[in-house]
Amino acid sequence: MSAVRCIDLCKTYRQGDQDIKALDHVTLEIKQGGFVCLSAPSGGGKTTLLNAIGGLDSPDSGEVWIAGKRIDNLSKGDLAQLRLTQIGFVFQAYNLIPVLTARENVEFVMQVQGVPANERQEKSTAILEEVGLKGLESRRPAEMSGGQQQRVAVARAIVSRPELVLADEPTANLDSKTSDELMQLFVELNEHHNTTFVIATHDQRVMSYARRLIRMLDGRIVDDINQRAA
Amino acid sequence: MRALAVVSMLAWRNLWRNHRRTIVMVSAITIAVWAMIFMTALMRGMVNDMIRDGIRALPGHVQVHHPDFRDDPSINNLIPMSDAALTAAFSRSDLDGWSSRVKVPAIISSERESRGVTLIGVDPELEQSIEGIGSNVAEGRNLEDVNDGGVIIGRKLAEKLDTELGKRVVLMSQDPDNEIADRGYRVVGLFEANLELQEEIFVFAGKATLQKMLGIENQVTEVAVLAADYRDVSDETEQVRALMNGDVEVLPWQELNNYLGSMLKVMDGFVLVWMIVVFLALSFGLVNTLVMAVFERVREIGLMLALGMRPASILGQIIVESILLLIIGLILGNTLAWASVVPLQDGIDISAVAQGMEMFGASSILYPELTLDDIVLANVVVLVLGFFASLSPAWRASRYEPIEAITKV
Amino acid sequence: MNIILRLAWRNLWRQPRRTWLTVGAMVFSNALLVFMISIQFSTYELMIDNTLQAFTGHIQVQAPGYKDDLKMRQVVPDVIELASSLRRELGTETIAARAAAFALASSEERSYGLQIYGVETQFESFVSTIPGLVRDGRYLKDQDAAEIVIGKVLARNLRVSLGDEVTLLGSGRDGSFAAAIATVVGIFDSGVPDIDRSIAEVPLGFFDDVFYMEGAGHQIVITAPDLISVDPLKMQTEALVPASLAVHDWDALQPSLKQAIQADLGSAFFMYGVLVILVAFSVLNTQLMSVLERTHEFGITMSLGIAPGRLGRLVFLETAMMGLLGLVLGALIGGVVTVWFGYTGFSYPGMEEMAVNFNLPSRFYPQASILTLFLGPTIVFVGGMFAAIYPALRLHWLHPVEAMRAAP
Repeated sequence: MSAVRCIDLCKTYRQGDQDIKALDHVTLEIKQGGFVCLSAPSGGGKTTLLNAIGGLDSPDSGEVWIAGKRIDNLSKGDLAQLRLTQIGFVFQAYNLIPVLTARENVEFVMQVQGVPANERQEKSTAILEEVGLKGLESRRPAEMSGGQQQRVAVARAIVSRPELVLADEPTANLDSKTSDELMQLFVELNEHHNTTFVIATHDQRVMSYARRLIRMLDGRIVDDINQRAA
Repeated sequence: MRALAVVSMLAWRNLWRNHRRTIVMVSAITIAVWAMIFMTALMRGMVNDMIRDGIRALPGHVQVHHPDFRDDPSINNLIPMSDAALTAAFSRSDLDGWSSRVKVPAIISSERESRGVTLIGVDPELEQSIEGIGSNVAEGRNLEDVNDGGVIIGRKLAEKLDTELGKRVVLMSQDPDNEIADRGYRVVGLFEANLELQEEIFVFAGKATLQKMLGIENQVTEVAVLAADYRDVSDETEQVRALMNGDVEVLPWQELNNYLGSMLKVMDGFVLVWMIVVFLALSFGLVNTLVMAVFERVREIGLMLALGMRPASILGQIIVESILLLIIGLILGNTLAWASVVPLQDGIDISAVAQGMEMFGASSILYPELTLDDIVLANVVVLVLGFFASLSPAWRASRYEPIEAITKV
Repeated sequence: MNIILRLAWRNLWRQPRRTWLTVGAMVFSNALLVFMISIQFSTYELMIDNTLQAFTGHIQVQAPGYKDDLKMRQVVPDVIELASSLRRELGTETIAARAAAFALASSEERSYGLQIYGVETQFESFVSTIPGLVRDGRYLKDQDAAEIVIGKVLARNLRVSLGDEVTLLGSGRDGSFAAAIATVVGIFDSGVPDIDRSIAEVPLGFFDDVFYMEGAGHQIVITAPDLISVDPLKMQTEALVPASLAVHDWDALQPSLKQAIQADLGSAFFMYGVLVILVAFSVLNTQLMSVLERTHEFGITMSLGIAPGRLGRLVFLETAMMGLLGLVLGALIGGVVTVWFGYTGFSYPGMEEMAVNFNLPSRFYPQASILTLFLGPTIVFVGGMFAAIYPALRLHWLHPVEAMRAAP
């Protein structure tokens, strides 16, 4: 069963007095455990595609299937539930709630999921260690570096072991060394837990980590390359 | 002046950057202003009515008595000057209205019932000039002259006595020798008053008729005088004192009825306190709004300072912004207040608590009264206190260091 | 351990000045409300107590129609027996019979019309404060003695003192001429000029003789230990008296009392309402701004799968915390101020003249109670919660992608 299936997705925005085609008949399939990069210049449609896959936004037409279930026609409540349990998100910046510590940011989602308090404590400790932030659990975002913040975001995204993690330009605000560290973390998680990763980016370094590279231009897929990861 | 124009324009535009917040704040100010003025109009109207009613019941703005009369309102405490001398003295003066009267406690008996009342012998013409209670005759006729052999009683009294127009009643009182003096009268008129109590207590007869019944020819127990403005009757009081000779007590209405006299002062104090309290409740929101507005624009303020704008004009901008908010709110609030008072000019009927209102001395129909003084007070309180409330956030805004402000996260 | 609670609390302190100003508005209003309401309720209680205990009592048994017409012939037959049996059945001594008439009282030098009451000398002190307020001489004792007790002002106006005789002239129950002479044995001072001027009391037996009552009277006065027990007591009384008689509670006997209180409450509620509304606007402004500036953050939170309804609840939680803070601090400050004035007394210029009119002392000692401490602040709290509805509702319509376009 594929993790992600998109069938003929279309989405158009109106900007001023122009129609922008963000998704122009996009069809693709990603297997479980895949490590995929979506690359496009700005405005190329990668964020829109990511949002459609993640159930954050509904396409004008076409179908989106996640783990064998069709999601583009789900209610907002069901989509939220989907994102809570099966999909993890990591954004470019401002991922975290600034008034909560690293541990609390991770546990926040768990509390909403209904995980009891002591279990939360165990899991958040474990996941923060897994992403390499042992000892920093009580720090607030303002007290952490950009890289550390992104790691917390990742921890939060995967704490409930979702099948799919979507990352939108996760390294855009980081320096090259930290970017590398973050990507290596992604690769580890992908290999250990078989989590599917779909990463939107226009950073060459990031693209070099992908096993599959999908290039987009003006809302269309123009290239789909299987490559050896670096 | 150019600077003020620039500052004002900036202030105005800044107001509408966050239109939601501005609308919420303006609404709050509008409601506060409306509440200040509306409530004051209601209270003012009630108190003014109370005072006018009370004065009508006394009656008069100034009264003259024998010094012991108020304590011991009996026939033995007559005014030392004769009625003729009083008439001569008062006719020469330029007082608006005056009436010399004989006021005694009496018992009125109909066929079936008796009641204690206050019997007043009057000259109907003079009585009209002081706008006393007896002048509002609803049924029948008023007294014709001082020799009229009839009485006017209140509608409520007629009910309680089980009597009506045209029937006979007996009035019994005491003459200066402590002998009973009584006489039969015919009920020739029924009067109405705002307070039921007034209809039950007062009975009016012809002055000369009463003087004869009591054996006190050419004497009276009190003189009531009407002044031009009830708010200040000190001139008329002096005038009347000058006209009198002999041992008499001349008092203004505030001292004749302490309750009413203090009402006016209490009401003025109350109005001011109410306005200030409302404004204080509002001021938290006002200061908050300005603080938030400044906080959001820290970078911009830093930029302006770096570009050479003087701190004073930053201060001015915030203050003008605040004043503009207040002015919009004042315009809307004043309009709303006026619009809500005008349709109520015919009075608000609160007869459900009529008897309670009588306890206060007020009638059961509230007539709101918008006075210029009160409106001006409300507007001044809002503007002046508002100005002071905006000083703190404005001052802080002007104290920013350009570099710090620009780099503030 | 509850993250949501911690989150709500910490959100409040992102902008401490803003939160304090909003809480400040609440504290100001709450303290004011607590103080004002304490004064009001204490005043009402005192007003009612003073007026009723002076003379009216809490319940009266009368002939139907008497309270409005006050006619001599509207009587309660065998009034002494009925009062006595009521005392037995209801198990209380605070019951007394009376008869009333209007008469002309004359001394050597003066005459005045007044209300004469024939009272049960033994029991009148249980239903009225007047017997206890006799300053000169003594109260009535013998049920049949030709004695009279009058008020200070009346004594002065009639020019009489203890031992002097007063002639009474009036109409009897059958309309015939009634006359008698009574000796002044006591002079009372209630401090209320109206009472001191117009009421005189004679023993019921003497009254019966003079006015040909033939054992009948006009009122049986009953006082209750407190206002709450009036209703049940009234029902019991109704069951015990003949159906031909009416039983009235103080509300019917002195409607002006309750109405005056209602009128005062009415105007007070208008004013309090304005305060509550202004505080609500403050809360609305604060929460609206607080929500708007977190739009981006809410977008990210929603992308995690948190439903907008949950976020709305978060806003309500934050509002509730502020409201609680304002409630507690406001009730505390208001309570302290009230208690302090409860010791030192409270007065304002002009109050003395007004107080006399309503049977109140000229210096006032407000009492705080659970009701007065929390009524006002609770309403302010609720008002604040209502104000949070609009900001919380806006989150309902928030779309995560749009939200994330907002500046963080």
